[in-house]
Amino acid sequence: MSAAESAPGPSDTVTVDRLSVSFGGRPALSEVGFALTGGTFAGVLGPNGAGKTTLLRALLGLLPVTGTVDLRGRTAYVPQLATASEAFPIDALGVVVMGRYPRLGWRRRPGRGDRSLAAGLLEQVGLADRARSPFGTLSGGQRQRVLVARALAQEGDVLLLDEPLTGIDGPSQATILEVIGAQRAQGKTVVMTTHDLGQAARECDRLLLLNRTLIADGTAGEVLTPAVLRRAYEAEVVMLDGGAAIIDEGAHHSSHSH
Amino acid sequence: MLAPFDVPYMQSALLAGLLISVPCGLLGVWVVLRGLAFFSHAVGVATFPGVVLGLGFPALGPFAGSLLAAGAFGAAVSSIETDHRLRGGAVTGLALAAAMATGAVLLTTVAKVSTPIESVLFGSLLGISGLDIVRCAVVAVLAIAALALTWPRLAASTFDRAWAAPAGARSARTDALLLVLLGLTVVTALPAVGSLLVSGLLVIPPATARLLCDRLGAMTACAVALCAAEIVIGLAVARELNVAPGASIAAVGGIGFAVAAAFSAGRSAWSGRAVNA
Repeated sequence: MSAAESAPGPSDTVTVDRLSVSFGGRPALSEVGFALTGGTFAGVLGPNGAGKTTLLRALLGLLPVTGTVDLRGRTAYVPQLATASEAFPIDALGVVVMGRYPRLGWRRRPGRGDRSLAAGLLEQVGLADRARSPFGTLSGGQRQRVLVARALAQEGDVLLLDEPLTGIDGPSQATILEVIGAQRAQGKTVVMTTHDLGQAARECDRLLLLNRTLIADGTAGEVLTPAVLRRAYEAEVVMLDGGAAIIDEGAHHSSHSH
Repeated sequence: MLAPFDVPYMQSALLAGLLISVPCGLLGVWVVLRGLAFFSHAVGVATFPGVVLGLGFPALGPFAGSLLAAGAFGAAVSSIETDHRLRGGAVTGLALAAAMATGAVLLTTVAKVSTPIESVLFGSLLGISGLDIVRCAVVAVLAIAALALTWPRLAASTFDRAWAAPAGARSARTDALLLVLLGLTVVTALPAVGSLLVSGLLVIPPATARLLCDRLGAMTACAVALCAAEIVIGLAVARELNVAPGASIAAVGGIGFAVAAAFSAGRSAWSGRAVNA
């Protein structure tokens, strides 16, 4: 599949064409193009500083861009775990209820229906018994699951997750992947950034390999080849008996779990 | 308990204090949660040259003078702080020093001030006029109205700014509103507590409340109640011991915080033991 040709098809929910972003004159992304259909689970891969988070922020309309981003329907967003304050006085249920505000328009108060929906979502991420626990007292994996539940409360058509599996425990990862599977089954488009190539290869049906531009776009078999990886990761790739190993400092540093 | 409030000037101070405890508690919660404690202290200090000018030139008056100074301080800090090399309070710190220096110079040169300088810095029981009480009431109403409208957006952008912006909680506007209200509250509280100790009202009660409460609503109610209690006790102490009210109010707040910190530490040690047992 060619990255350059991305005319919107009838079932495409996300269409990106010649997308470029720069910060203070420094290009962060250039000429990125791809299209995703409903029900796709796309993994965005690439070394540190490749522009993975920038791509998500551009899809959310938060950055001045050139080129086009066409996103059908509403977005729901899970930013990196560290962005949520552990000092803020709020319980797990309160965080998920907060996810209703974009739908309510920020002026209407969440009603009983919103609260029971939020409680149901906490149950879906396995935290029904922690609903009244202060957010800051939860483990990293639990906090991440709460943030995923908050995104589900947004009831978006396109779910964007920034490193949702990084640095958290295995059971929490499994729960989040289960939730993503359920979203796909409902025809929603899911885009996730990750450092973990193996996990992305197993879980995603589409991989976007970035390094300031789109290096490769396709299935795991098409994208995770030594030649392609060498282009994306440059010096971080070591060749071993015809296979490729990646020395990824970012994944290394963030892999100790809580 | 009520004995210190048996004279009209103390009753004025009490009424003004109870009214100002509402915006102080309401805004103080966001001051603490958003890490604005140093900034709010600096706004208080920055009003010093404005008060000096206002006292020296009655046509201006200390209220308008301090309002101008707070506005100038806020504008200066926010325009210089866009330079990312100076993040983290450096600009606030230097603007604070500049304001204090300007006030000190004005005091001995341009403005002839008969008011004792300690009243300007630490507040006075005698200085509360009927107009001050009206100002306190107006700021209280403004703070309640503004926060009622922006509460969810403030909460979302304070808790998780990266999520709130794409979710439609425009933070630039709520940030600006918060700072304007903060400036108004500081300026209104000045006559009672003075330039140097106004942050005692904006920081100590909500910080104490945070130790005692794990929900935003409870923390806010607790902050307002603690602020009011701190003011009532602090005013009584100021009269009995003949000290500046800003000092006694902050001291009462400090003791309250110490008690809450000890209680909080004891509680977590106790629950830790219960878990280990």
